[in-house]
Amino acid sequence: MTHTDLIDRYLNAVKLWLPRKLQKDILAELAEDLHSQIEERESVLGRPLEEAEFVDLLRRRGSPMRVASGYIPEVRLINPAMLPLYWMVLRIVLLWVILPIFGLVFIRPLFDSHSLGNVLATFVATAFQSLFFVIGIVTTVFALLDRYRSKWVDRWDPRKLPGARRAHQQMQWYNDFSGFAFGVGAAVFWGAMMWHRSAFVFSAGFRFVLAPIWGQIYWLVLGLTLARAAVDLYCFVRPAWTPARSWVRLGFEVLKVAIAVVLLRVPSWFDIAGADLSPADMAKTVVWLNGTIQITLVCAAAIMLFDGFRQARLLWKAKTGRSTPILTVS
Amino acid sequence: MHTNGTNSELFENLRLELRRGCLAVAVLVQLRTELYGYAIRKALSDQGLAIDENTLYPLLRRLESQGLLVSQWREEDKRNKRFYRLSPVGEEVLASLLAEWRQMNAALERILAAPASPRMQEQTQ
Repeated sequence: MTHTDLIDRYLNAVKLWLPRKLQKDILAELAEDLHSQIEERESVLGRPLEEAEFVDLLRRRGSPMRVASGYIPEVRLINPAMLPLYWMVLRIVLLWVILPIFGLVFIRPLFDSHSLGNVLATFVATAFQSLFFVIGIVTTVFALLDRYRSKWVDRWDPRKLPGARRAHQQMQWYNDFSGFAFGVGAAVFWGAMMWHRSAFVFSAGFRFVLAPIWGQIYWLVLGLTLARAAVDLYCFVRPAWTPARSWVRLGFEVLKVAIAVVLLRVPSWFDIAGADLSPADMAKTVVWLNGTIQITLVCAAAIMLFDGFRQARLLWKAKTGRSTPILTVS
Repeated sequence: MHTNGTNSELFENLRLELRRGCLAVAVLVQLRTELYGYAIRKALSDQGLAIDENTLYPLLRRLESQGLLVSQWREEDKRNKRFYRLSPVGEEVLASLLAEWRQMNAALERILAAPASPRMQEQTQ
């Protein structure tokens, strides 16, 4: 292979990676530089370069793609300053999309379908499609923001920054986030599972028949769960503690305890039908099932009371000036 | 604790950062006289500042697009070559850059001449 062939091949490979309107100019200059270098080497050696030496010379210049990359301006999709916000938004949106899909496309069909494989395959396919769709949309929004609204990053006022965290709030963000995630999960579960449902029907033929109280509190529980998740999300995004937040949370806990009390006053929450059991065994099972629900409700109410007490304590501390000081960086 | 490999990688990154600005200044200074690409490389290399073609040509293109250099294709020794030289804007910017560089250099020299902290002195001993 002649030197000219090798140069042509090399330059042609570089050309592939160059912007079209710059190709001619850049290649002419690279070719000139190569010829000058070869000429100089040959004059030092006093003979023409051998093929191996020529190949070595081209190799040392770097791969065609690497050479071309030097001429291409660095392009960024998202401003590095916006990356933390981008990741946070992406995680939150993904959570809001994947959790409902998990409830609606995986959990709910499990009760109606006999094939776990089909349900799982549908869930995986839907989740993947949604994942790429969400990532695409969020990335596009941030890329557009970077392109047309990037100056807002520099528009700031120290007086409008979120309040500093206090010592006890160092772990609070984790509580806020897990509260939000749990709230969304619970809302999806409740919304999907209890929608117009009077009984859970199982493939073996027996049914858990729901007491009417579950239908009566459906919207109240769903609204309360979503509202609480929204408050947790707000507290996670803007973590400063304020008395208003504790009052709101205290209000939620009081409402939840009230619902638990209403539920506890109902004599029975579930009944069983269609099971292949003797009347005595059936009665025992119903008692056991309702007993379990009762214990669960009492435990849940205790947890709500504890959380309410915690919020009340924070409010009391703030009122008496015993709140922990703002963390300073040492 | 850093391994030798990490240290050399760190050094290489810092060296590249240090060189990046210096190379632009060196090229601008060199182009007070009109030269073509390969001749710029040779001239810089002969003065102890080697620069590879993958760095030089994109740099020349960038400086030209910023209006600091002007270029024209001309035949020399029976080959077409692209000759670069400093533009009037480039001359002004270079003067400011050199003033900045001298100021930084003087400041660095002063910092280096200042007595080291006791801990540094212990390490040197």
